[in-house]
Amino acid sequence: MAKELLKGNVAIAEAAVRYGLEAYFGYPITPQTEMLEYLSKRMPELGRVFVQAESELGAVNMVYGAACTGARVMTSSSSPGISLMMEGLSYIAGTELPAVLVDVMRGGPGLGNIAPSQQDYNQITHGGGHGDYYPIVLAPASIQEAIDYIGLAFDLSEKYRSLAVLLIDGSLGQMMEPAELPEMQPVRAAYPHWAARGATGRGRIVHTSIYLNPIEQEKTNFRILSRWREVQANEVRFKEYYLDDAEYAIIAFGTAGRVALSAVRAARAAGIKVGLLRPITLAPFPGNAVRELAKRVQSLLVVEMNNGQMVDDVLANIHDQTPVEFYGRPGGNVPLADEILAEIERIVKGKLTLNGHPRDRWLDRMLTKS
Amino acid sequence: MTTNYTIKTLPDLEQVAPGRSGCDGCGAVMAARWISKITGQSTIMVNATGCMCVNYGYAGAPLHPYIHSLFENTGSILSGIDAGLRALGKRREVNLVGLAGDGGTVDIGFQSLSGAVERQHRFLYVCYDNEGYMNTGGQRSGATPYGSNTATTPVGSEQQGEGLSLLRRKNMVLVMAAHGIPYAATASIAYPLDFMNKVKKAIEIDGPTYLHVLAPCPTSWGFASEESVKIGKLAVETRFAPLYEVEQGKKIVLDRRRSKGTPIIEYLKAQKRFSHLLKPENQHRVDEIQSQIDESWRYLESLAQE
Repeated sequence: MAKELLKGNVAIAEAAVRYGLEAYFGYPITPQTEMLEYLSKRMPELGRVFVQAESELGAVNMVYGAACTGARVMTSSSSPGISLMMEGLSYIAGTELPAVLVDVMRGGPGLGNIAPSQQDYNQITHGGGHGDYYPIVLAPASIQEAIDYIGLAFDLSEKYRSLAVLLIDGSLGQMMEPAELPEMQPVRAAYPHWAARGATGRGRIVHTSIYLNPIEQEKTNFRILSRWREVQANEVRFKEYYLDDAEYAIIAFGTAGRVALSAVRAARAAGIKVGLLRPITLAPFPGNAVRELAKRVQSLLVVEMNNGQMVDDVLANIHDQTPVEFYGRPGGNVPLADEILAEIERIVKGKLTLNGHPRDRWLDRMLTKS
Repeated sequence: MTTNYTIKTLPDLEQVAPGRSGCDGCGAVMAARWISKITGQSTIMVNATGCMCVNYGYAGAPLHPYIHSLFENTGSILSGIDAGLRALGKRREVNLVGLAGDGGTVDIGFQSLSGAVERQHRFLYVCYDNEGYMNTGGQRSGATPYGSNTATTPVGSEQQGEGLSLLRRKNMVLVMAAHGIPYAATASIAYPLDFMNKVKKAIEIDGPTYLHVLAPCPTSWGFASEESVKIGKLAVETRFAPLYEVEQGKKIVLDRRRSKGTPIIEYLKAQKRFSHLLKPENQHRVDEIQSQIDESWRYLESLAQE
């Protein structure tokens, strides 16, 4: 198929349709509402299901219900709406059902604003809802990647009977760029054996996350964790740029990673040997790749559009062997490439330390600047 | 109870600052102005996420204490303020008002509102009903009328706008009245004095009260911004949004005089959201809407006779 000029939210919605989305449930919230609007027209055209819920709580539990039937199902929202969905997400995870969620992050906490942010990293990758569960989290940095990874999200969520989240920010949802949609794929002809579709001619199917006997609950927790270990072993994805001879490296995902790549190119033009590792799977986190990278560079710079969330996962993986610095723009701000370039130059010239937390040093610099 | 306001005895007080960032002709802002004119300087307003939180509250327009609530919890925050004021012994000094749109009232906020009135907290809850999620660009809500072209009930080959019959739309005033609350009523921005006297009546009651205000939305309904009052009047005259009050969940007073029964087509043809209904092939839908309105009116009349 040829490239078209596509808006992020619309591209994700149409890609989901072409990857066989059978039921969509949603609720308006900026900056993801175009997904809801687009599918309100598109799904009925194809005889598929579109339902506008009365709240995000309604939407996520409709996803829970539809997932029980084995349908390929999805919902989308933005930060505050995702918070409201957390109980339902925990129940979906505890019931071991596949479902796909798109979070188009905005600035916060609280109502915040509708500008791009990466504030939900911890909430999404480290659970968010209660209990031990492990969503697969994919972080595209372009509309083409968003199209590709929504398909991957369906495949992985069904393969591992797990929640899969496409984590993007408002700029990826709202911007337009050329991208290629997949061919229309047929909706699945066969449904998984566990799908609750009536018990005629077979045993009844029970979907539940209630295990009043703690031993039974523990077995379930071990089963979910064992499955997660499989995901960790097989599904880690990341992209590397200019890392072969790098003396310094940036770690950044999504839009921050995209801006960081511009800064890396500018730094390379100035003769600084810097590269970029951009995690695609935020969960499972590319911890081994980060650890190996840390061994061969003088310093790591983590860039995020928040107060420093992924930086803790980086620190947890490198065991204080390499100095880490952090640069973030929270609250709905996107860092400019020049800001990141200035950070690279500062690190190259400055003294590096293993002491203290990079977030503290960053905040002091930011507060001094303003 | 004190006597009603007349034009001559209305308070001079204005508590909506100029310079707010909303649309011209916004019905919801007129509602806020007339509410706070009556509730006075001792008002505390809780305002849910929506058009008014962004274009009114955030813009600094309310000149009285103002608390932004989430989309789904206006009723809970009202309950907390009522309880907090009682704990401080300050309850009598404050007129506590909730202001939320139809999405925040009939959809996502319904649970917390129902709980708050069940517990008999003292507040006036005003729903400004612009019949959809207008702050996010005009999606349907549980209050969107049959046939409306919205961003999520588009007109196309498979559907002709909102499909839910007017007879099945949540009637929030009757739903709230069914909680047995002391006072629930409809009001319209097209009849300011009637509106303000209903606010006055409500805040004099020591308990939960509910006003459902039709707030025409030029932007999403599709009419010129100077026509908000005209559209509001047509809604009442055609019996699309009749004016009535329900006291103690039982006694219903219906304003028959203002709802004289103008044909609904007059209301529909004044708004772009219904323009597809004017096509000859959709005549049966207009007839359907007229019969739904007639049936709703007969039902209200039957309740008012008891």
